[in-house]
Amino acid sequence: MSEKVYALLLRLFPSRFREAYRDEALQLFRDRARDEKGFLPRIRLWLDLFADLAISVPRQYFYAEPGLLGASGQRLGATPSFYFLSDEAPRAGALLLGTLLSLAALLTFSSLLSQGGNHRPRIATARQRQRAAAPPSTASARPAPQSASDTNSPGGSEDEPVASTSGPSASTATPFRAAQVKSGDSRSTALRWQEPSLSPQPSIPQLGRTASSTQPVQDDANPTTTTAVQNERLDARERQHVLASAIANLKQHYVYPDVAQKMAEALRTHEKRGDDDATTDGEAFAKLLTMQMRDVSHDMHLELVYSRSLLPQHPTEPTPEGLARYRAAMNQENCTFEKVEVLPRNIGYLKLNSFPDLSVCRTTATAAMASLNHVDALIFDLRDNRGGMPETVALMAAYLFDHPEYLYNPRENTTRQSWTLSPVPGNRLADTPVYVLTSAKTFSGAEQFCYDLKMLKRITLVGEKTGGGAHSGVWHRIDDHFGMGIPETKPINPFAETDWEGTGVEPDVKVKAGDALATAVKLAESKQQKK
Amino acid sequence: MPKRKLHPLPSAAFHILISLAEQDLHGYGIMRQVAEQTDGRMRLGPGTLYSSIQSLLEQRFIEELDPREDIKLGQERRRYYRLTSAGRKLARSEAERLADLLRVARARKILRGEYV
Repeated sequence: MSEKVYALLLRLFPSRFREAYRDEALQLFRDRARDEKGFLPRIRLWLDLFADLAISVPRQYFYAEPGLLGASGQRLGATPSFYFLSDEAPRAGALLLGTLLSLAALLTFSSLLSQGGNHRPRIATARQRQRAAAPPSTASARPAPQSASDTNSPGGSEDEPVASTSGPSASTATPFRAAQVKSGDSRSTALRWQEPSLSPQPSIPQLGRTASSTQPVQDDANPTTTTAVQNERLDARERQHVLASAIANLKQHYVYPDVAQKMAEALRTHEKRGDDDATTDGEAFAKLLTMQMRDVSHDMHLELVYSRSLLPQHPTEPTPEGLARYRAAMNQENCTFEKVEVLPRNIGYLKLNSFPDLSVCRTTATAAMASLNHVDALIFDLRDNRGGMPETVALMAAYLFDHPEYLYNPRENTTRQSWTLSPVPGNRLADTPVYVLTSAKTFSGAEQFCYDLKMLKRITLVGEKTGGGAHSGVWHRIDDHFGMGIPETKPINPFAETDWEGTGVEPDVKVKAGDALATAVKLAESKQQKK
Repeated sequence: MPKRKLHPLPSAAFHILISLAEQDLHGYGIMRQVAEQTDGRMRLGPGTLYSSIQSLLEQRFIEELDPREDIKLGQERRRYYRLTSAGRKLARSEAERLADLLRVARARKILRGEYV
């Protein structure tokens, strides 16, 4: 019996050792068991055996393999060579166990990741309660917080690549997004009313709001409290507070005062009827009020937003770290100029995935355009372009004209940046045929590029109808977790009554996005032949 | 992964070498001999014993003999081990090292008694 137990314990040793010495070890055990009879000697024997196991099993695993077996007999300096850790195939059981363990680890990790956002320090709760009594804040002008890390996220804010706005843009132009996201908010929420269909999923904290440079002492600027917090249960008092603030903001800021009044009445009616009472979840409450407002206004850019993470009270300035991160991200991605090349028959091809901030990417942009200066036809591939800075749109468009052209930007009224700085010295592309490839993903600033140049009859659009994101609102913070986007302006469109909002820009040549490049190349070639 | 090392010589390996100095022994014999030469303080368990034997074999400090029976212990055939000349040399140099250490210890008055 005891020998069987010891035989089982021997399985703890690596197989190599067991193969060589299992029988000997058992023999030794038998010898000792035979010679050391009696209660105490037997106890001592087992103590010895366990101590021996504790010491020698780890050592066997550490030294188990007889060194690494070099695949090549002799090692040459700087020559890569292979080493085998084990020359026997793992058992099926071991493989199965390994698979299960890795799956378990993966699941644990991913569930921890998704649960991580729910952690909420208690201190934040108390603060939130205090804030609930505070008056609604009004919008203050400030660029949107930027996140370099967002630049590539497919999550879909139109301007994600431009999220950077706040960073570099402090200098000159109003970024495509800064126009609407004027005040301190979570960037994610800003994005949401630009793309209203997106479900509100607050994004990761952005670099722009890690700390408030204006009021560093403010407790809510403290990074520990701005971390993710839980979806707090709403009580009637907070609901009322949010509702009252929303109404106040609407009346004060909404572009059409009469509609604002109607929405306010509708909101109050719903409240009195008790439509809101059942909602204790912040996100659901925000959605409900948004729906009630849109029922009246049919304005998809009007949105009440709930953010799990604390919304900073004061606008945060872009930090140098944030700028550095944006710069690094842009450098790594070549400013989202994914491809710049000349195809056969001297057709220029430029795949641009955003309209990045010029303070970081001007050189890249001008170099790309300069390298295509001598092409006979030019293809802009905007199929993966989710938007960006209007000044970059204007810069790229400037190469296509020999005189300044007005570019309509639905986000803001006419500014100096509304005109292209054409002609660009040394540029030869003003008369070159231009094809722009689009897809349903083409969005926001990229759509501005398509729309304006199409209206100016300067380009041929090839591909799919674009995403349809033009307008957006200005951010107004209500409290730590609620805020709203309110459209405040309505610029005049010189080209048509409607722009691409909600409808997208129609291509001139409608083909699947996947076929757009081939089609554009064919079009360019046939145009060349006609010449 | 590091190769099993005998430098510095682990005390278990040293005791095994010493136990084989005068006669060839099988595993259990080595264990008993070691227990005897240490007044029962060191009872090598199978794991320690055979991993040390494995290392010593790999480094050719001992060699394995053809299995045979130990009449006192019954009919089972046992592997016997013998000290090689390299093993003897190693045991000697280890013993000298220890003797040197002992001299130092005595000089520092940690250990009383005659100089070795």
